[in-house]
Amino acid sequence: MNDEIFLNEQVEVVAVFKPGRTMCEPVKFRRKSGRVVEVTEIGLRHPVTHGKRMMHIFDVTDGGADYRLEFDAEHLTWRLTIEADKL
Amino acid sequence: MKLGYNTARPLVMHIDLNSCFATVEQQARPRLRGRPVAIVNRRTEHTMIVTCSYEAKAVGVKLGMRLKDAKKLCPELIGIESDPPKYKFVYHQLMRIMNDYSAYVRMKSIDEGVIDFSETTARIGERNLVDIGYEIKQRLWDEVGVAMNCNVGISTNRFLAKTAAGLNKPNGLDVITHHNLREVLAGLELTDITGIASRLEKRLNAVGIYTPLEFLDADEEILQKVVFKSVDGSYWHKRLRGWEVDKRDFSLKSAGRQFVMDGYRLPHADVLKRLHHLCEETGAKVRSKGMLARGVTVYARTYDYGGWHAKYMAPLPFFSNEAIYAHARRLFEGAPNGIKMIAVTCYGLQPVDIHSRQLQLFGDEIAREQAITSAVDEINERYGKRVIHSADTLGSDTYLKEKIPFGSTRYME
Repeated sequence: MNDEIFLNEQVEVVAVFKPGRTMCEPVKFRRKSGRVVEVTEIGLRHPVTHGKRMMHIFDVTDGGADYRLEFDAEHLTWRLTIEADKL
Repeated sequence: MKLGYNTARPLVMHIDLNSCFATVEQQARPRLRGRPVAIVNRRTEHTMIVTCSYEAKAVGVKLGMRLKDAKKLCPELIGIESDPPKYKFVYHQLMRIMNDYSAYVRMKSIDEGVIDFSETTARIGERNLVDIGYEIKQRLWDEVGVAMNCNVGISTNRFLAKTAAGLNKPNGLDVITHHNLREVLAGLELTDITGIASRLEKRLNAVGIYTPLEFLDADEEILQKVVFKSVDGSYWHKRLRGWEVDKRDFSLKSAGRQFVMDGYRLPHADVLKRLHHLCEETGAKVRSKGMLARGVTVYARTYDYGGWHAKYMAPLPFFSNEAIYAHARRLFEGAPNGIKMIAVTCYGLQPVDIHSRQLQLFGDEIAREQAITSAVDEINERYGKRVIHSADTLGSDTYLKEKIPFGSTRYME
């Protein structure tokens, strides 16, 4: 079954906002442990709403593991919510 | 007089996302690309496969197989729990792209839609549809992602366009015209035709029709009076010849939801709690379309006795979760034990007419119910689905998650 680990970890993110497929591209992020993850590819960016509150979900990879980053457009915060390092 | 083939310019395009949910997952997680992936609705090995990637299909994994059985065929198969918001996003992206080409776009399900170019602008209409088909494929790669492939079929009617879209999977583009119609049908089996399953195949066989070409050449009267015993026979006669008979929009007549139990032989009280949750979701669906319901059906499939159902048509229309649940609970009293799956459906849907004479007779009562229901709906719309719900269904969201139904996409706008 799924290999994902569900998390709710606030992370520091360097992102580039530019026109294109995803409009916003997380480039790298620092985890609570201090480890920096360099994003090599953004798989998909899709919005989800919790009522009127908009979140942008980024499925990204660093080549060794897949991550899900959630950007809260209301509070301007980034959270790491899924990590999947096995296949 | 025998009806000839439709020789008009093909102006109907059918677009079908290949193994949609699996492909979207492979798009979202690049490390899944090129690997066998199965999408399931629950995080368990005993669950059925909803869809799978082409890599999994290549080794014999099929839809509807249990994940644990599929893993015997393909030990490296990766089971992924479905993630509806992702699929909805891709659905909307596909619809956005399709809407750029014609005023007439109809999504047939979450992963396929039809563009009718007879209702487009002159500038688009004069373009070659094959070029537009390749352009849509390119836009899907550019605007959604490189893993997203689709099949495109072009013909003179919806049926043949869909048939064309299924000829070369994955990522094909085919055109069926009166020139190649016989050649295409000669390469198919009867059950390859959309709408012909084993039951209809037997009925066709009974009159000596064993191939799609024989079906094409069959007499309209035989199809109408002997095989289909209805006007459907005439529709099939036209459909196979490329004439349009399926350009119809249907109004919403019913709404509901079903759920396969999360435990073996749950007691009635637990099933009832799940039924209550389904009633709340059904009520929200009905109201979101500005409708009222007249009837409720409760259906259950059991471990021992197959299917059971009960229905009730109310004298007055209703709309609140409480009213739907009250009717459903009364019906459920007659349900058998050992329920495996439960479903609730509201039928006889009609648009809200607050001036209706029947409703005015119960004016105050209905106005009060409507005010409370509207307030709850407004709060849920502002703060999130099911922020306010019945205390009885507290915690039920952990097992009754949102799922994507195949078929209608009416609730996805």
